[in-house]
Amino acid sequence: MVELDYDIVIVGGGGAGLYAALWAAENTILKVAVMTKVYPTRSHTGAAEGGINAVLTHSVGDSPEAHAYDTVKGSDFLADQDAVDIMCKMGAAVIYDIAHRGVPFSRRPDGRIAQRPFGGASFPRTCYAADKTGFYILQTLYEQCLKNNVTFLNEWFLLSIIHNGEKVEGITAWDIRNGGVHLIKTKAVILATGGHARVYWNRTSNALGNTGDGTAAALRAGLPLKDMEFIQFHPTGLAKTGILVTEGARGEGGYLRNKDGERFMKRYAPEKMELAPRDIVARAIQTEIDEGRGCGPNGDYICLDLTHLGEEKINERLPQTREHAILYEGVDPVKEPIPIAPTAHYSMGGIDADKFGRTPIKGLYAAGECACISVHGANRLGGNSLLDVLVYGRLTALEAVKYADEAPETNPSVAKAKDDEKRILELMEADGKEKVADLRRELGNVMMKHFGVFREEKSMKEGLEKIMEIKERAKHVKVYDTSKKFNTDLITALEFLNLVDLAPAIAVPAIERKESRGAHARKDYPKRDDKNFLKHSVIKRKEDGTYELSWKPVTITKFPPEERKY
Amino acid sequence: METAVLQVFRYDPEKDQAPYYKEYEVPVEGTLLNALLYIKDNLDPTLAFRAFCRSEVCGSCSMKVNGKTKLACKTPMKELVETWKGKPLRIEPLNHMKVIKDLVVDIDKPIEKMKTLIPWLVPDPRVVPTDPMHESIIYPEEMEAYKDQIHCMLCFSCYSACEAVADNERYRGPFAFSKAYRFQVDRRDIETAKEKRIRYAISGGLWSCVQCQKCLYVCPKGVKPAEDIQNLRGQAVKKGFTDKPGAKKLKHFVDWIYATGQINRLYLPEEVYGNKEAREKLTKAYTEMGVEVWEVPKPTKGLMKFRDIYLEILSKEDKALDLDYSHVRKIDKMVSDIFKADICTIVDKAHEEGRSSRGLISKLKGLLGGQ
Repeated sequence: MVELDYDIVIVGGGGAGLYAALWAAENTILKVAVMTKVYPTRSHTGAAEGGINAVLTHSVGDSPEAHAYDTVKGSDFLADQDAVDIMCKMGAAVIYDIAHRGVPFSRRPDGRIAQRPFGGASFPRTCYAADKTGFYILQTLYEQCLKNNVTFLNEWFLLSIIHNGEKVEGITAWDIRNGGVHLIKTKAVILATGGHARVYWNRTSNALGNTGDGTAAALRAGLPLKDMEFIQFHPTGLAKTGILVTEGARGEGGYLRNKDGERFMKRYAPEKMELAPRDIVARAIQTEIDEGRGCGPNGDYICLDLTHLGEEKINERLPQTREHAILYEGVDPVKEPIPIAPTAHYSMGGIDADKFGRTPIKGLYAAGECACISVHGANRLGGNSLLDVLVYGRLTALEAVKYADEAPETNPSVAKAKDDEKRILELMEADGKEKVADLRRELGNVMMKHFGVFREEKSMKEGLEKIMEIKERAKHVKVYDTSKKFNTDLITALEFLNLVDLAPAIAVPAIERKESRGAHARKDYPKRDDKNFLKHSVIKRKEDGTYELSWKPVTITKFPPEERKY
Repeated sequence: METAVLQVFRYDPEKDQAPYYKEYEVPVEGTLLNALLYIKDNLDPTLAFRAFCRSEVCGSCSMKVNGKTKLACKTPMKELVETWKGKPLRIEPLNHMKVIKDLVVDIDKPIEKMKTLIPWLVPDPRVVPTDPMHESIIYPEEMEAYKDQIHCMLCFSCYSACEAVADNERYRGPFAFSKAYRFQVDRRDIETAKEKRIRYAISGGLWSCVQCQKCLYVCPKGVKPAEDIQNLRGQAVKKGFTDKPGAKKLKHFVDWIYATGQINRLYLPEEVYGNKEAREKLTKAYTEMGVEVWEVPKPTKGLMKFRDIYLEILSKEDKALDLDYSHVRKIDKMVSDIFKADICTIVDKAHEEGRSSRGLISKLKGLLGGQ
């Protein structure tokens, strides 16, 4: 068992991980490594299309306070306002920083960074680079990491987090390329492993690998997860595949129409129309479909109409959207509306972390989608995730540097690594009565059916039972590939087991939150209930494998809860 | 349901003595990536390939289909079946990289190669403010210069298809030059970095590219490495990096065409490769073959006018500075010596003799792409 030794290990090479690595590299001589299960530029930050919100020096009439208010209102008042405040105030700083490093933001004729309107925002404050904002940010950050000679452990898979109940001591990981469990000793760990919307396997905008590996490892290590019941359904996923159509398509003036050609959003959000926040638009679309006003032979999708924008504007502002619609849906948006339906998109919940990204374990930080700071509360606004990723990538890096500078050497025991080795061996020797692909599909169906856009008690309880049954059956899945090198069969199984661990952590608080707030829409409790539920759910897994739910207050500073109308 | 047969390259260096092909029957539905996932989920979980975003932004799933480089998530099965009617579809890993397992290749080497070309912005403090709260102004027009290069997602399709990579171990690869060129045309990048990039590009095989244009055709994102390489070469010459054969050849072409209207096959080996005997040997060989030989072509009427036209064309392409007038003067002198009069007189004389120059000019225009 090879032992590696670092001061800071950043797990995940997406926007948060790379920005953390960059800020760590530039601010310390400590040994920092980025560990990622893919190559950094494959990370799903690259799929973020629409843009990144920030109030810039030339945003006339706008202010970080207005941005904070929109964010808090968008979150249905569940976001922690001290954290939102930090994020919104740092907006301009991170935008200019990455622009100075080479991100090719789209520009106004006067050479300043252009901004477009986005859902739930009171000003056009979404900075963008055509419709590939995340892609350019990811590529630029990677370039800058190469420039700074950042150490990468590419294609390494996180297995476990080792801590002594007080501070973090190391991690264990599987070297995908060569095979083998490794014990990595480190003083600080930043988890930046992304979201877990792949729990909804069959209908999601997420990459194949967005399986919440860091979140699941944290859960297994006894760390609390927060607000896990909140999963964002993006209103516009391509009908056949769930692949994302950017909110920018509506930002640029796209219409949503039902089978009668009606712009139905006027009945749901008369003022903001198509640019209402995502939870509201997703529910509107789902309601239209459920009530028989969907388009197509089965009435199971809605039309996103861009035809009136004209070919030139579509090519200039939404080139990727056009390409994807043609390739994956067989529809050219210049000529025909795009068939879309809600798709599981973003995990608002995640590893419980404070406004600096710190978890209850010293030296362990979480940033980006795997974390729940919480800046998104019950519903994230479009364009706020790239901002969250950068702000918290940077903040956690500085926190980790400060901590690791002074922290004593750690001494992680090899027991965890031995356990993990055993676990992997057991997978290879299992009876194989169940197949990963089947169970994963079943889990996806259960999640979508019982914990989808609309939820209710009876159905969710049934759903939880089915999840627990799948969890039981998952003990019989087998890894058929017994080779060490590039064993994707093993990785697929480990990823699935992570999803299985996370599913109950979503289901349990979803059942207990007896109100509708943001993305958590209950038919049996259609109203928000501030008296009883203006609080974060916190879920932990106990030693015996059972899940324990508790609650924790929301930090409210400037904006008292009010009715959310658009 | 319509199906197709994939013959998939399989190789596990731990177990297999040699690579082999395994056949799988897959539905003709969605993309090639869907087909591979179908195999993994339903037929054979041991098949190894890389895939992540499934929507052509991450660059993981490039591979070869019947020898052609494809991004699996961007390739509809229907299209493949239609293109290769009746033929089996052979799925193989990319070229020029070591196979780790099945369709997975080692991409560390091309990344390391790319790193040597400084593929990142080195900000010029006079253009990029050091104050983090100060915006740097960039006009939309300036971004046109690198609008294609920024789409590179490191899928290594071009690297796999490249002839020069096959021939030259040191060759950095098409994408690497495009990544470098993107910063060569960014006003914010400091001049010293631009100069270094050229230096490193030259030692990384800038002149080895044979302009086969394959990179340009296989790129799933519309990046045009072959063009970027040409532009980098132009920059190299402009910056005075003229000691490589490639640069010398370019110089020979530009100067001789300007001076005489055509390249000089007798002087080319000497001027480009320093081969001093070539001229004599070639003269002998041509004479023996009965081919007409001239040391320099006789200037004809209209040469001066041609020079004006040629210069105008070069200027339009921003290449006028590539002309080396001292070299041109030397050629002029050689012409004058051979024909025993200065170049203008010779031209005038040719004019007086009433020889048509039209033939020459149209020929030269042909040489310059018909302009």
